[in-house]
Amino acid sequence: MKKQPQGYVSFVLHAHLPFIHHPESKDYLEEQWLFEAISETYIPLLLNFQKLVEEKVDFRITMSMTPPLLNMLDNRLLQERYIDYLKTHIELAEKEMKRTTYDERVNQLSHYYFNRYSNDLHVFHDIYHDNIIQGFKHFQDIGVLEIITCGATHGYFPILYVNEKTIRAQIGVGVQTYEKYFGRKPRGIWLPECGYVPEADKYLKEFGIDYVITESHGVLYADPAPIYGTLSPIVSPNGVIAFGRDMDSSRQVWSSINGYPGDYNYREFYRDIGYDADYDYIKPYIAVNGVRVNTGIKYHRITGPTENKDIYNVQWAKDSAEKQASHFLHSRIDQITQACTYMKKPPIVLCPYDAELYGHWWYEGPYWLYILFKKIYYDQDTFALITPSEYIDKFPDMQVCSPCRSSWGANGYSEVWLNETNDYAHRHLHKIGDKMTELAYEYASFADDLDKEFETWKGSSPLYDYIHINTTPLRRLQNMKLSVLTKEQKEKILLIRALNQCARELLLLQSSDWLFIITNGTMVDYAKKRIKDHTGRFHKLYEQIKNHTIDKKFLQSLEEKDCIFPEIDFRIYR
Amino acid sequence: MPRATKDTKQAIEKKEKRNTKKVLTSKAEMKKVEKKTNKITEATKNKKESASKSKSVKTKQTKLSVSDVPIKSKKGVSTTKNKLPTKTQKQPTKKVEVLEYYDLPYRYNETIVKLLYQTPTTLFVYWDISDEDKQKYIEQYGEYFFYNTKPVLIVKNKTLHYQYEIEINDFANSWYLQVKDSKCVYEIELGRKAINQYVTIPNNYLSVTTSNDIESPNDHVLIENLKPEITFQNVKTKEYYTKQFDPLSLEKIYKKENITVKKFYQKMYKTAFVDAKHFDLHNPSSGNPTSTFK
Repeated sequence: MKKQPQGYVSFVLHAHLPFIHHPESKDYLEEQWLFEAISETYIPLLLNFQKLVEEKVDFRITMSMTPPLLNMLDNRLLQERYIDYLKTHIELAEKEMKRTTYDERVNQLSHYYFNRYSNDLHVFHDIYHDNIIQGFKHFQDIGVLEIITCGATHGYFPILYVNEKTIRAQIGVGVQTYEKYFGRKPRGIWLPECGYVPEADKYLKEFGIDYVITESHGVLYADPAPIYGTLSPIVSPNGVIAFGRDMDSSRQVWSSINGYPGDYNYREFYRDIGYDADYDYIKPYIAVNGVRVNTGIKYHRITGPTENKDIYNVQWAKDSAEKQASHFLHSRIDQITQACTYMKKPPIVLCPYDAELYGHWWYEGPYWLYILFKKIYYDQDTFALITPSEYIDKFPDMQVCSPCRSSWGANGYSEVWLNETNDYAHRHLHKIGDKMTELAYEYASFADDLDKEFETWKGSSPLYDYIHINTTPLRRLQNMKLSVLTKEQKEKILLIRALNQCARELLLLQSSDWLFIITNGTMVDYAKKRIKDHTGRFHKLYEQIKNHTIDKKFLQSLEEKDCIFPEIDFRIYR
Repeated sequence: MPRATKDTKQAIEKKEKRNTKKVLTSKAEMKKVEKKTNKITEATKNKKESASKSKSVKTKQTKLSVSDVPIKSKKGVSTTKNKLPTKTQKQPTKKVEVLEYYDLPYRYNETIVKLLYQTPTTLFVYWDISDEDKQKYIEQYGEYFFYNTKPVLIVKNKTLHYQYEIEINDFANSWYLQVKDSKCVYEIELGRKAINQYVTIPNNYLSVTTSNDIESPNDHVLIENLKPEITFQNVKTKEYYTKQFDPLSLEKIYKKENITVKKFYQKMYKTAFVDAKHFDLHNPSSGNPTSTFK
């Protein structure tokens, strides 16, 4: 029997992508982000979780799955397009198997990619029936994975909270989306970009959130100073528990000089046949407009600080991952052993990362996690893996401190999401937030009355049950045949739909990703366009609502494009 | 299919596409429309053929009617009603695609000052004065009010109770302000100061409006805020209790004697604890693109 561990390590992977859904065109390259993430990160994680379960390794991991990601994974069009993506990649890999006979090592890799994409198709379609959310839910249900929620569209709280109702809605819709997909309430939340503001505490409590994840100084610079640093969570005066990121473990993985993903045996991200192969040959597999892009088929390893990259070797890469897993393991043993000499409670080392680091950027990351979890289980008994919720339940005593306003962006505060490149957007974010709360204030009682009106149908109309299938009574009416409704009722429902769409446009506008992308300087045009589109759409709908001239076709086109949160109820802004 | 019908079909397709403002971007969508148009064409084929002796006349008419339909203006979607013959009005009902183009509003014409923090010592402020308020000032203080006054921001530190003034200009509508004190509540007042004797305002200063309050973030370890009694909570029972934190009873908090928060931090964060109060916040992940997604 294993002895009681002296301390704990908690891995938290933050899985997020902005909501990108363009039914109007297949030409948006940005849509591929989802497909790459499914193939390179989400499916590999699921497969490794499954392997660990089958091998009876007792492990724990926490993942935040953001509402935009869940909405996209649940979107039929995107599911179909992902299958097309896989079929194209299988076709390309097949061609590669013939093309690369000149070098056995490369040829083996082309077979490897063929098998991998074929397996993805099998896993996605045959095992998970095109919806991998169920896969993650399964691991949560059997107790090895804790899934937490996030802000509805990853809105960055330190910018939004000048109108508190807008962060309340980010939290509320985030929690509602979580409940829809996982059938229970979330205990934790990944604050978008780890952006903590104490003003959000009351809303976190309102929606039943126990804990948040913050950057290291969210805890270290708390008021007063926490006596155990980040090695124990703290609780805010309002009752929200904060876990701070451990600095050592994050630097080991992330350091650009000697971080794990830079190992010379690992796959080189920037060498891809999308760029390397003959143009006419690769043209059908790159961007529609002929621009070379990554295909995901990469044959080289990092090799070193050289342009002459050697061919990737799967086994060598695995060997490196195993060595690094040992290094990480021993570093944590040392860290926890040392902490235990000072602390009166078992320390927790919290290791949060972007989920997409594992597999997409660091191709061997999921395998590294798998090996590490096995080593933690079999090779030592100093510490065990734990989820934040389990830690809270085991060790409920914690110091009362106010966490520090902070984020996990460069330099720890708001510079990434508020600087000269993107600060033009903030007044629109705020103005539309204000307009949305104004609409909610103006029309909430109208919607309440409409709810009551439908309530009177109870027992007398089969429509009643239909309306009440989902939590929000008015929700599904937009898709049904409305022949039984009076003209007046139809107009009321159109108004509700417009109000709900306004809420969607606001939420999509608030996504921190657009501001990040502008700062980062890649895909800037797309991000700027999204800011313009959601702002423009909101204003136009707002005017139509105010002037009683709702354009049904316009509304319908927005409902099709910006179809995130089908159940949203604008009264969340009340 | 006779050529005449084929041409007519294409014309109708073209007409219908523009009429519904639908952008056909994929072959699949094209096929859908083609199917629908086929039906329309079949249904109207005989009628058309008998009514029109010559395909060129038909095509000409069609072209005319197409040009009659106003295409949407760049800034929005045309609301012009469909003017095409009713028989071709059957639209692809499944997907409604409305062409859109938006520019951000230049301003919202409201009197406002909003304040955000960027770092513990950098605040961001943006502002505007509505045309109505501008007119009000002009009526009250004269036609040249805005030439005889200059805009200023009064930075008010509400925690440490001091304030100072920053001169701005009428070409700007936002500003980054360097402030001295972190973890303080700030408020900004937008005002105008007289720059000559041609305007008469009390104390030569006119307050336009004030911002929201914002607390700048903390930027160091707050050991000074630790009181001799440290408060804990059992989050299960919600009970609060305190532990003594004075040099004589350290063992109540740490296992080892002579350990203080500062020493504990030095031991546990060897590389990151810069000095007695500050950490190196350079987050290695921020310099590393996590992916090409973002």
